[in-house]
Amino acid sequence: MGTVLVFGDAPRGKLGPGSFEVAAAGRALAEALGARLVGGLVGRDVGAAAEAFLAAGMVELYVADGARYEPCTGAEYAAAGDAILEACGPTVALFPHTLDTREWAARLAARRRTGLVTDCVRVIVDQGQVVMTKPVYGGSVTAEYVVRGTPQLATMRAGAAEPATPGAVGHVVPIDVGPVASRVRVLQETTESGPAGPRLKDARVVVAGGLGVGGAEHWHLVEEAAAALGGAVGASRAVTDLGWVTSAHQVGLTGTTVAPDLYVAIGISGAVQHVAGITRAKTIVAINKDPDANIVRMATFGAIGDARAIVPAFVERVKQLRG
Amino acid sequence: MNIVVTVKQVPDPNTPANLLAIDAAARRVVPPAGIPPVMNGYDANALEEAVRLKEQRGAKVIAVSVGDDGARDALRRSIALGASEAVHVEDAADLDSSSTAEVLAAAIGNIGPFDLILCGRQASDTDGGQALFGLAELLGLPAVSPIKKIVGIEDGALVVERITEDGTQQVRVELPALLGVSSEVNQPRYPAMKGVLIAKRAQIPTWTRADLGLAAAERRVEVRRLYVETREARTELIAGDSPAAIGTHLADRLRETGII
Repeated sequence: MGTVLVFGDAPRGKLGPGSFEVAAAGRALAEALGARLVGGLVGRDVGAAAEAFLAAGMVELYVADGARYEPCTGAEYAAAGDAILEACGPTVALFPHTLDTREWAARLAARRRTGLVTDCVRVIVDQGQVVMTKPVYGGSVTAEYVVRGTPQLATMRAGAAEPATPGAVGHVVPIDVGPVASRVRVLQETTESGPAGPRLKDARVVVAGGLGVGGAEHWHLVEEAAAALGGAVGASRAVTDLGWVTSAHQVGLTGTTVAPDLYVAIGISGAVQHVAGITRAKTIVAINKDPDANIVRMATFGAIGDARAIVPAFVERVKQLRG
Repeated sequence: MNIVVTVKQVPDPNTPANLLAIDAAARRVVPPAGIPPVMNGYDANALEEAVRLKEQRGAKVIAVSVGDDGARDALRRSIALGASEAVHVEDAADLDSSSTAEVLAAAIGNIGPFDLILCGRQASDTDGGQALFGLAELLGLPAVSPIKKIVGIEDGALVVERITEDGTQQVRVELPALLGVSSEVNQPRYPAMKGVLIAKRAQIPTWTRADLGLAAAERRVEVRRLYVETREARTELIAGDSPAAIGTHLADRLRETGII
């Protein structure tokens, strides 16, 4: 009986939503492999986060808790991660994909002489193999990988899986890690406040605009549609490059990957790079003047015409319906 | 100050998706013949930053690339852009990240003492962004990535600005260190005529794995399959006599289907 390990992610002591998605993917792997599911969590004051994470259905949760883990440094997290690998000896270990995990997961791979696939959109068992899938070449091509080595490591992109539902609750195992000489020191940290409204990354509804909106002076249409639907505002790279909105709104492979129930694309042609960021949207609505636009072909509903005439009527009706 | 810059030749990221062919048997992506590969964008930023340090403070900049003959183009361009020297390590162009990190670690060990390694934060072919950290781990170096600014150098340490998930950190890192460079850091220059002429004459040694005392590469990540994902959609076009009617009908249809 093998072990599948899922790492949570708890910056500033707060469990990130990606943790439950990775737990769900790990649980499915454990079932397919007949393995047990265990968790790992590294951070400062993560007691409450650990309790929440345990509920995702793991038999044990290995926790390294201490002031040294905030802010995250690669040396500290790699050492803690390594101690957790040592304690549970997993065959597979999954991490939520963040700028931080990317470093320490890669360091663990080098330390353990094993392989890592970063930023996966899917990790499943197929024909007895753990298969890791991710878009490559700017999203033009999808690649499936297998790792030769133990443990098989993967980081998973936010929105790659449905979050785990509560499962059997196991217990916490504290992990002690020896001192680490860290040659990196964070002097100061500033957080930039994100856009108002729901967070793009976790929004259930996203309304995004592209060049077809027709100009910065018409951008209010996108914002009004988002407000009427109670959704977040997204944008194509073309319009963030033009400065119609800040890059915090950019949806796509190089921006934010979203997984809403409803994605409304206004005047967006659907470049590969953009489409790669919305593949997990359940319903896509394309409002576009070009019936042959890539986004229209992949949409559930297409509204063909000038966005500046369609959107106001759409917003008006949505307001009536949602009263 | 000795600065090593790692560069990688990649298919032009602006290649239209429909021109990328997949060689299913070899499990590789074949870019079209008419569009030459380019130096990875973030690597160009890393090189530019190294050359600026060279110009401002005096430094030796050594560009290193692992790959087939194509890697030599990236190295020649590096010299044209201001690198002092370049080293080519001959290996497969599509090596996995772990193997790349091992080869780079051995090559850099062979180059000699260094103060700083600058890498692009990730390469546009697979956007893995892990070879740099594997390299740092194998060389026992601290790493900071992705960075958007080098703020200063003082007492054997660098102060840099690092991009985080929700903001920026100012980080002090002791040298020797490795930095993963993001595009915010600078705007790479174009090669000057003088640089191009120097690059043409430059001797770029090629080292093999055997020269570095390495056995055959043991891939830890294997490509199982490559494919183009097509999203099955039967798009329902919303009817209406006018754009406004289409807008109204769209809202009605979303309500009927329970979406809003």
